[in-house]
Amino acid sequence: MTAPIPVEFNHVTKEFAQRKVLDDVSFQVAQGEALCILGRSGTGKSVTLKLMIGLLQPDSGSVCIQSEDISNYSSQQLSRVRSQMGFLFQSAALFDSFNLRDNLALPLRRLRQGKSEDEIQFMIDEALKTVGLALDVNKMPSELSGGMRKRAGLARALVLGPKILLVDEPSSGLDRITASEIDDLLIRVKQQQNTTMVIVTHDVHGARRIADKIAVLDHGHLVGLGTPDQLEISENEVVRQLVSEP
Amino acid sequence: MSAIPRFFRFIGELSHFGLRSLVEMFRPPFELQYFLIIMYDIGYGSLPLILAAGFSLGVVLSLHTRAILVQFGASALIPSLQSGSFFVEMGPLVAGLLIAGRVGAGIGAELANMRATEQIDAVESLSIDSFKMLVVTRVLACIIAMPLRTIFIDFAALAGGYFAEFLKSGMSPQLYISLAFQGMQWANYIPPTLKTAIFGFIIATVSCYYGFTINEGSSGVRRASTSSVVVSSLLIIIVDVLLVKIIFFFFPGSAA
Repeated sequence: MTAPIPVEFNHVTKEFAQRKVLDDVSFQVAQGEALCILGRSGTGKSVTLKLMIGLLQPDSGSVCIQSEDISNYSSQQLSRVRSQMGFLFQSAALFDSFNLRDNLALPLRRLRQGKSEDEIQFMIDEALKTVGLALDVNKMPSELSGGMRKRAGLARALVLGPKILLVDEPSSGLDRITASEIDDLLIRVKQQQNTTMVIVTHDVHGARRIADKIAVLDHGHLVGLGTPDQLEISENEVVRQLVSEP
Repeated sequence: MSAIPRFFRFIGELSHFGLRSLVEMFRPPFELQYFLIIMYDIGYGSLPLILAAGFSLGVVLSLHTRAILVQFGASALIPSLQSGSFFVEMGPLVAGLLIAGRVGAGIGAELANMRATEQIDAVESLSIDSFKMLVVTRVLACIIAMPLRTIFIDFAALAGGYFAEFLKSGMSPQLYISLAFQGMQWANYIPPTLKTAIFGFIIATVSCYYGFTINEGSSGVRRASTSSVVVSSLLIIIVDVLLVKIIFFFFPGSAA
């Protein structure tokens, strides 16, 4: 029996207001692999991530997670699939009315119902220690800097021990050093936990550090897919421009 | 889409949104922890405003009615007029409008901001039903909090009225209270207070609808906040007329 493919897009098309944001996009991400998606703004990168976690449904084609087509899944079925996934949003999307502890406790209490309160607290502390926020557990999101919010968002995405981690713009709004620290965290998670990652980014430098493969989207089409070195010699000029380091 | 079809579409969507929140209220899982946070914010958070507004209105009403009633030698009627007007109509309506302003604007702005900052997507990505967590909890909290807030505004107004009367005539609190409730029946107090649960439902449904469905960034936050207050205030005033007629029908004694 072959191992399930963590993430697979088959001829996916998605339109908004009669504008094709994704047009016949197909790719696969293997177990433990990190795929970075590059592209100009508005080319459907974040939509790709939201399709993967079932926040959006494709107009045609199929989105498969662990070899299951989730395109027409009910909320209960999606719940099961999502319990194996973590999502770091561009703005971190921490819940404003909860402190860090409760932000992390929410998915644990909901999706790991067999866990005792002590176990939940241990898992929260471990996740916050991983991202270097162990001392900030009682802080509210409004008390955190941009970089700390990103790290807290990453801790929430990791607290369930996901097999697949989706990351939307990990470096946006951050200075170069902080962005590099977030990249380091992602690399460490990938190495230690063998987590499959799909990362949407504009940061070529970060993408080249983290990615096993890079996908380039342009006007809704997948115009490049391969290792950074392969894409540097692509015939497509957009691909070469996006993948080359400044 | 022109104005009339858009209006009917809005009414349909709002009604569906409200009914869905009522149905989901009885379906597990119940978001108890989040509900308590919301209940604290809506209930306790608006208390100072309710008490200050009630007390001030009580003083003002007492000053106005005293000037007239004294001319007719009917100053003993001031306490009962005060309690009658507040417990029967002014208290529920003023509490409704105040809560629409404070809580309705807050709910609209908070949910629209959560939408703009992807917090609602984050809730969904964690396998949590965002409608149940964010909408149903707020609707239930407003339904429960509104009658409680109304009782507070009624008694704050009564205290304000007594304060004004005490300064003018030195009336004892025991006498004021006994005159205030003389000749009043439960039908005068209970139905008008309970009708504010419907005001709470209106405020929460309208505010959650705007906050949950508008996705326009920071301008959406402003629009959700403003529309929540305007539409819920208007609906409260319109629905109040209907509810008064219904109360008169079922409790004829309250019309006396």
